[in-house]
Amino acid sequence: MELSNLPQGQRDLLDSLRDAIVAIDEEKARNVAEAIVNEEMDPNTAIRYSIAHAAVKVGEKFDSGEYYLPHLVMAGDLMDEVGTILGRNIPSDQIGEKKVIVIGTVQGDMHSVGKNLVSTMLKSGGFQVHDMGVDVASMAFIDRAKEVNADMIALSSLLTTTMPYQKEVIDDLASMGLREKFKVIVGGGPVTEHYAKEIGADGYAKDAVEALREVKRLLA
Amino acid sequence: MISLLEIAERTQTGEKVEEKKWDMELFHTISQLVKKYQIEFPGEGCFINMDDDLAERAFEAGIECLESMGIYCITTRRRVRLTRDEILRAIDEAPTEIVMGEGKDRRVWKQRKVEGREKLNVCPGHHTPYSEDIAPLVIDNFARIPRADFIEGFNVTTVDGREIMGAPMEVYASRRQVGWMREGVRKAGRPGLAIVYYPINTRAEDLIGVMDPDHGLRRTDGILLTLLPDLKMEQDMLCAAIVYEEYGSFKLSGSFAIAGGFCGGIEGAIVEGIAKPIACMIAYRDYIHYTGVEHVHMLNARQILIPGITWARSVVNQALNKFTHTICMRWVIPTSGPGTELNLLEGAMHSIEAPINGMNLYAPRQCRTTTNHGQTPLEAEWMIEVSDAVIEQGLDRKGASELLAKLAQRIQGEQPQEGYSITECYDLAHHKPKPDYERIYSNVKNQLTEMGLNLPQ
Repeated sequence: MELSNLPQGQRDLLDSLRDAIVAIDEEKARNVAEAIVNEEMDPNTAIRYSIAHAAVKVGEKFDSGEYYLPHLVMAGDLMDEVGTILGRNIPSDQIGEKKVIVIGTVQGDMHSVGKNLVSTMLKSGGFQVHDMGVDVASMAFIDRAKEVNADMIALSSLLTTTMPYQKEVIDDLASMGLREKFKVIVGGGPVTEHYAKEIGADGYAKDAVEALREVKRLLA
Repeated sequence: MISLLEIAERTQTGEKVEEKKWDMELFHTISQLVKKYQIEFPGEGCFINMDDDLAERAFEAGIECLESMGIYCITTRRRVRLTRDEILRAIDEAPTEIVMGEGKDRRVWKQRKVEGREKLNVCPGHHTPYSEDIAPLVIDNFARIPRADFIEGFNVTTVDGREIMGAPMEVYASRRQVGWMREGVRKAGRPGLAIVYYPINTRAEDLIGVMDPDHGLRRTDGILLTLLPDLKMEQDMLCAAIVYEEYGSFKLSGSFAIAGGFCGGIEGAIVEGIAKPIACMIAYRDYIHYTGVEHVHMLNARQILIPGITWARSVVNQALNKFTHTICMRWVIPTSGPGTELNLLEGAMHSIEAPINGMNLYAPRQCRTTTNHGQTPLEAEWMIEVSDAVIEQGLDRKGASELLAKLAQRIQGEQPQEGYSITECYDLAHHKPKPDYERIYSNVKNQLTEMGLNLPQ
């Protein structure tokens, strides 16, 4: 349903939901989401417009320094909650599926700050994210990706000595005949675009903001 | 101070907490403390904290943060609780100086005073990864800097021609790293210079495997054992702390907070920036720290300067120097790469802050360093030159603030410059910058002189 075809009152509701998510006003967001459901508005329109636009604005606020990582976490959780409310009336065969990403810091590496930022940014950006944490064995990434039918595996490495595990995941995917099944994006302090190309990754990002852009491009 | 055995036990018996719950609890706790203790950035144009009362309130906020939260052990997912008494006793019992090195290279690394007049202690490098073909020569170059009081190692990507992967190779590479360091300082004519081991990985075996009084880490050397951001510790690091505490090596930590993360903005980072070195001291017995506040956008080289970041660092270091025995270092970490004008200008800002706020000087290197592309000896010599000039000129907080304002105006709005690898802009064979870099250095020196800093010509 195009936005311009909606009555003003319904457009106001969608704007209100978007603004409530951006402001991380949980009570208001829930109430407006319920109101949208009660109005029998198309939930996919609300998800596409309110939540997706909210995600962009939250990302912009993080980029500008107004929001921090906890805001991304809270906004992401709120988007999930609102999405569940809105999705109540969507027949199961019409539920639009989110793209799925498995993310983690590679084996032997305990660093999580950058990975957390990317994970949260991707979740806020509308992706279904399975964050496996730190020190994740290469096969564990692949097993999880298969289990959740992921679209992408995102690998973080903050030590030069753990960067080879990013290559190991890609090599293992190839040897298992699964390379084409999952896109792979890599990042982390010592990782460069040149290295990403060298090891056969599909994408590279130097920080969370770039990661969201790159993931959207790769999974378009 | 509570024993490391007690800490170890608490990592096994403390309250179980999921990591996400810890993260959000830290954010909410720090947010409340920022309000309670009225920690607020005065506004644009403020680079150095002039409010002594604020430094004291910030200190109290840091203590309360540690008392409320404890430390999170990510290995066991448990909270290590600390009482206020334990925290204050640890602060009181910490030393204000650390002896390191041997023979003519024996040095005493000290806590500094705010607006102090003594020349600073210096670690000129490294922290940047180097390839093994140039590593020994690089170490030799940095060790030749006369003011170097210790020198830190670096990560490596290959050893004996092989890519490093897995614990056994990491242990082998760790021992080679320290071996190169030992050889490098000897070749520079400084066989007793203290080496600090920079962990190739944070596994216990990597950290302990370099201990070797004959060929590796001596008792008069040091090791970097750092808490993770958000007051998180690892059992592997604690293992190493227990062993090194008995062996005798000194320990350092990267104790800064990262604004933009779970501590919140710059005000929240002040609270964590004060709590963290104290936590590092209790958990790992770290007594030398690179302290202050960084910002996630600066560490990612998205922005050169975030408003308030210099002020926030100033509050942290003033609080630590006035109310604890923490031995602080300024990690000179420009967003621009070596061989560039902006790198030297950014480095100058950090090097002006350091003596004013009571910090020693540490390892200038680009924030997004990659192999052979992070630093040269010139940036280290430059940071010494600038901070010495600040001290000799007798700059106080007000004077330094005016100078920082001019520098900030110069670099604000610029985009970080990528820079060059060490071999592209520096002549390692003759220990000097290449002509283009020498010209850039002279130009930057003139700029600083015109801004009012009396640099030797």
